Amino acid sequence: MNIRCARPEDLMNMQHCNLLCLPENYQMKYYFYHGLSWPQLSYVAEDQKGEIVGYVLAKMEEDSEDNPHGHITSLAVKRSHRRLGLAQKLMDQASYAMVECFKAKYVSLHVRISNRPALHLYTNTLKFEISEIEPKYYADGEDAYAMKRDLSSFAAQVSEVKVPSPDKIPCISKLEIVD
Amino acid sequence: MPSSNPLPPKENALFKRILKCYEHKQYKNGLKFAKQILSNPKYMEHGETLAMKGLTLNCLGRKEEAYEYVKRGLRNDLRSHVCWHVYGLLQRSDKKYDEGIKCYRNALKWEKDNIQILRDLSLLQIHLRDLEGYRDTRYQLFRLRPTQRASWIGFAMSYHLIGDYEGALKILEDFRKTQADIPSSYDYEHSEVLLYQNMVIQESGALKEAVAHLEKYQEQILDKLSILETLGTLYLNLQRFDRAESVYSELIKRNPENTLYYIKFLEVKQSSDEDECVDTFEYFQKQFPRAHAPKRLALNYATGDRFRKLVDAYLRKGLHKGVPPLFVDLRSLYKVQSKADTIQDLVLSYVEQLKKSGHFSQADADAGESKEPACALLWTYYFLAQHYDFLENPEKAIFYIDAAIDHTPTLIELFVCKGRIFKHAGDAIEAFKYLDEAQGLDTADRYINSKCAKYMLRANLIDEAEETCEKFTREGVTAMENLNEMQCMWFQTECALAYQRLHRWGDALKKCHEIDRHFSEIIDDQFDFHTYCMRKMTLRSYIGLLRLEDVLRAHPFYFKAARCAIEVYLHLFENPLKDLTAEEELNTENLSPSELKKLRNKQRKARRKAELEQQEKAERAEKHQNKRPPGEEPDAPQQDELIPDKLARVEDPLEQAIKFLKPLQDLASKNIETHLMAFEIYYRKGKLLLMLQSIKRAFNLEPNNCELHTCLVRFVELVSSKLDTLEAPVADVIKQAMEPITRGRSAKQMNEDFLKENSNNLAALIQGARMMYALDQSRQEEAIKLATTLEKVQGINIKNCSRVLQALQAGDFGSCSQHLEEYKKRCHKIMIYATLFRPPPPPVLTEIGSSDNTSLEIPVPEISN
Repeated sequence: MNIRCARPEDLMNMQHCNLLCLPENYQMKYYFYHGLSWPQLSYVAEDQKGEIVGYVLAKMEEDSEDNPHGHITSLAVKRSHRRLGLAQKLMDQASYAMVECFKAKYVSLHVRISNRPALHLYTNTLKFEISEIEPKYYADGEDAYAMKRDLSSFAAQVSEVKVPSPDKIPCISKLEIVD
Repeated sequence: MPSSNPLPPKENALFKRILKCYEHKQYKNGLKFAKQILSNPKYMEHGETLAMKGLTLNCLGRKEEAYEYVKRGLRNDLRSHVCWHVYGLLQRSDKKYDEGIKCYRNALKWEKDNIQILRDLSLLQIHLRDLEGYRDTRYQLFRLRPTQRASWIGFAMSYHLIGDYEGALKILEDFRKTQADIPSSYDYEHSEVLLYQNMVIQESGALKEAVAHLEKYQEQILDKLSILETLGTLYLNLQRFDRAESVYSELIKRNPENTLYYIKFLEVKQSSDEDECVDTFEYFQKQFPRAHAPKRLALNYATGDRFRKLVDAYLRKGLHKGVPPLFVDLRSLYKVQSKADTIQDLVLSYVEQLKKSGHFSQADADAGESKEPACALLWTYYFLAQHYDFLENPEKAIFYIDAAIDHTPTLIELFVCKGRIFKHAGDAIEAFKYLDEAQGLDTADRYINSKCAKYMLRANLIDEAEETCEKFTREGVTAMENLNEMQCMWFQTECALAYQRLHRWGDALKKCHEIDRHFSEIIDDQFDFHTYCMRKMTLRSYIGLLRLEDVLRAHPFYFKAARCAIEVYLHLFENPLKDLTAEEELNTENLSPSELKKLRNKQRKARRKAELEQQEKAERAEKHQNKRPPGEEPDAPQQDELIPDKLARVEDPLEQAIKFLKPLQDLASKNIETHLMAFEIYYRKGKLLLMLQSIKRAFNLEPNNCELHTCLVRFVELVSSKLDTLEAPVADVIKQAMEPITRGRSAKQMNEDFLKENSNNLAALIQGARMMYALDQSRQEEAIKLATTLEKVQGINIKNCSRVLQALQAGDFGSCSQHLEEYKKRCHKIMIYATLFRPPPPPVLTEIGSSDNTSLEIPVPEISN
């Protein structure tokens, strides 16, 4: 599986993956809105044939300039590709980009209160915390947990990493394999 | 130029308020003010007011009236730029973009420097890709508003799009200089402009300058990933390998799951030696122990014993942990036979040892290692089931999946797998039953639900599929409608194909047209982004969007829908539907009373359902009308309703087919099927030169294609039969163009040669045999014998054998019911699971093989509830 930042031509295939996996669906225009507003934030996982097996569709909240934060609009991994850790890897890349490009302090999302597997992923693996319950958030009347994840650990990483300066000698021009 | 009919101050003030109301979407108020002006007898026919009233009405969804008022206004004031502008806006909202452009141009005749009209014009020009016009308009806008950021950007972009990189770069650089006092820390938009500038430099081919530009401005660019990825590619192209290496190392550190970075890294290292490549991956594995990609990629490069050692560890880890996608992850290695053999060897040995001692190997057991978890055996069985399914060995696949199910009877993945095995083995009904079982084990998982619905559609159970989907679609509308609204193309494609198999031509066409409309809609969706992206400054992505929309119908979803539509239209051309009542009578003639009753019941049900849907739709439309908050724009103009019956009775099926074909010719020209379909259409239209064109294109792609062979034979035969009536220049062109293909041979000779050259290839024999009979009906026996060969040829599989069966049924070999039954029996022995060849149940109900049938006969399954 290959994980990379999404491009405009991925958006239709992300919609396809979304329709297969999740009850909350959106028309293409909404995907374009994400891809054209925050091109750095959405990621896809693709198999060897180039088919999308998972994605994260992400954005910045627009009304929060003094406290910038990102939001996960949708995250899905095909059931046929579970237990490879794809969701976590997708989320980490998206979160990193939120901090790097938009100085996000935290990232938020909503999850159905009945969706135990997803809740487990967000709470245990991805270190999200429930911030509140939003009653009747979903179209069918179900409540949502609003969750948040602090991104300050990413901020530390971002400040460390620099584009290698042109003069720096490459670090691993000779590979040393230790058995 | 001012209006030819200026209003006095009081009315003029009212008019300005109409404009304001329009801008603020207060349409009802706008109409009130218009009424105040128009009720004054002196200004009853005031052109601009009438036009604005029309535009306002349009926003309230009253399109017909809108056109009436706008046109009347224009007639009364032909020299008003307002009237022309308004007419243009109306046409635009109606998606008549060409007309819109004409109107704006007329408006500009009377008011050449009007910013708003120029902006609106530029939007339509970019939307229609009138790039020259766009550049001219952007120039005007730039000239009039040189201080605005959007003026510069739009102006530069118009040069970029036309391929004038130098012009674009000059504008961008001048613009950057005006922005000299940029805050150095954080400015996303500035960062995006710099990256866009870099994109243009790269596209101009100035790679060194692109590098220098990035190196110079990297502090001001926030999107470090883009810098790194771009620099990596550039360094590599410039053969600055040491720098490229450090860039790709950094990229891998950022995202060790990106396979492309590793491939590029190998390119940088210029290692051609497989062992060296594997060394590299092992190095990265040590650096990033949690990363999956380097472990997996090493398997692509390793060979022999090293492969065995690596894949052994990889398999054990996956089976120990219980990673369901282990097989799909490794499947691509099967291209290399020796690798597939190694994997089979290893996994079979695991089974043996796990059963014996609970270890993966005797060595583990001897060393006293702790036993594997009990589920390791389960995952090993599961792996083998998929392995044998992939190798088209359903017996063994079923053996192992049953072993797995015995081990753990509640695991969803196992039922999905078993269903898939039956699907591949040709039993769609049995396949869907297992998917249904899987679905029942977790009704909250939409992925399983979707797969189940897909399998139902493959079994032609459309109502059941819709019912299944309904569990996840919005309440209050049918699943069909909700899925259409959500542009759910996989479902619609599978539906279309199911309808096609059921000979419900109109319904199939409806689905194909729905998919086509999604593509049109997505192309229209661009419109709002033309302005939006200029504001957001996400220019690289915007360019990406424009380029994507230009080739949108290259998407496989479109190809599948178009192919289905073309096939159906070809069928309808050859077998036009009889008129409705006559057909019903005809069909009922041969039915027994009980069957007749069933049919009537079914028809009644269908009618009731249609009525219900109609009613629902009307109610919803009404609700929608009321629910819309005041001032919100109405939805896009209503399109004609797609009525299956009308679609199936269209007068010019071939023309309709061509409409679906055209985008394929433009965008899927690398796919030989495109040209084969084109040939079939033009063959039926009798267009020799277009047939020739299709043949040539197909020939250039794949000269030995079996389907193409039948086109060549039919074409050569057709031309020779028409030789006397052809005009000399046409005959010459054809002769010259065909010479390299025919090399002077007749159709018959070509077919003989083809059969000789492909004597052990079933897919080719079918086509050669069909042509043999078509050219000479006295060779029926010989042709059938060739086509029905089931020994000593390659390609004996469901696909090819069903193709033979289909040809026999379709009368491609004349009347041959005896052969047909025999052939089915012989196939059944080889492919026992395939329903297609299964002997009919004892009381024979239906007769197979009406001779006018060109499509595959798949029995319609009866479902008892």
